[in-house]
Amino acid sequence: MLTEAVETGCDLRALVRQHQATVFSIALHFLRDRATAEEVAQEVFFSLHRNLQQIETPAHAAAWLRKVAVQRSIDEGRRRSRRPQVALEDVAEPAAGIRPGDPLLSELLRKLVATLPEAPRMVMVLRYQEDLEPAEIAAALEMPVATVKSHLQRSLALLREKLARRGIGESGWTG
Amino acid sequence: MDWLEDELRRALAREDPPDGLAERVMARSARGPSGARRWLAAAAMVVVAAGAAGAWRQHQGNQAKQQVMLALRLASAPVQHIQSEIRGISQ
Repeated sequence: MLTEAVETGCDLRALVRQHQATVFSIALHFLRDRATAEEVAQEVFFSLHRNLQQIETPAHAAAWLRKVAVQRSIDEGRRRSRRPQVALEDVAEPAAGIRPGDPLLSELLRKLVATLPEAPRMVMVLRYQEDLEPAEIAAALEMPVATVKSHLQRSLALLREKLARRGIGESGWTG
Repeated sequence: MDWLEDELRRALAREDPPDGLAERVMARSARGPSGARRWLAAAAMVVVAAGAAGAWRQHQGNQAKQQVMLALRLASAPVQHIQSEIRGISQ
């Protein structure tokens, strides 16, 4: 039984080591700030430490951590939204000659995802970072599956349009 | 697979956390609630105590006010009686 196993610091450490990249990356891709993402990750694992009795299986631990990481990241994003944020206009144009697989394209995509509103942004992070299915995303975000699918379709269309304006995409790679 | 989805998977791939994150989490878990949390709890207790003291002072003030009003009513009763007697005689 995991509950008994994780009561020792050693097993908490194992859970932290196993899931730290997931938790940290959810916060990082949602907030785009490494220091804040580490603070969020520490909060999430400290919360796990306080709630170990609720954890029943390794799969439960993974789902619990993902859900709490999502909630804490959204809460932190709301606190930060009172401060000035990076607007789409501030996203610098990439250098000419950008091609598929180019690190500049990855950076541009991360910045464009960061300009999405809160819910579709987190949907995109869970879909493309964690490779979750819409039903799993719906469970993590407590929203209908149809809403998750709608966010995915709209966000992809929006990103495609913004990239096309920069000459990036199937119809015209720059270079 | 759509090229944009491929690029998004590449862009949003998991990243390694900062070195020592697990150790910092374990150290914090061993310490218990953070210093900030302890200060917040202490501040909350001070606010509650101050609120309770204020409420007690207000309660005492209300009681004193009621006692003064009662004393004034008791003191004014004979005067009113004499005044009505005088009005009766003069009429």
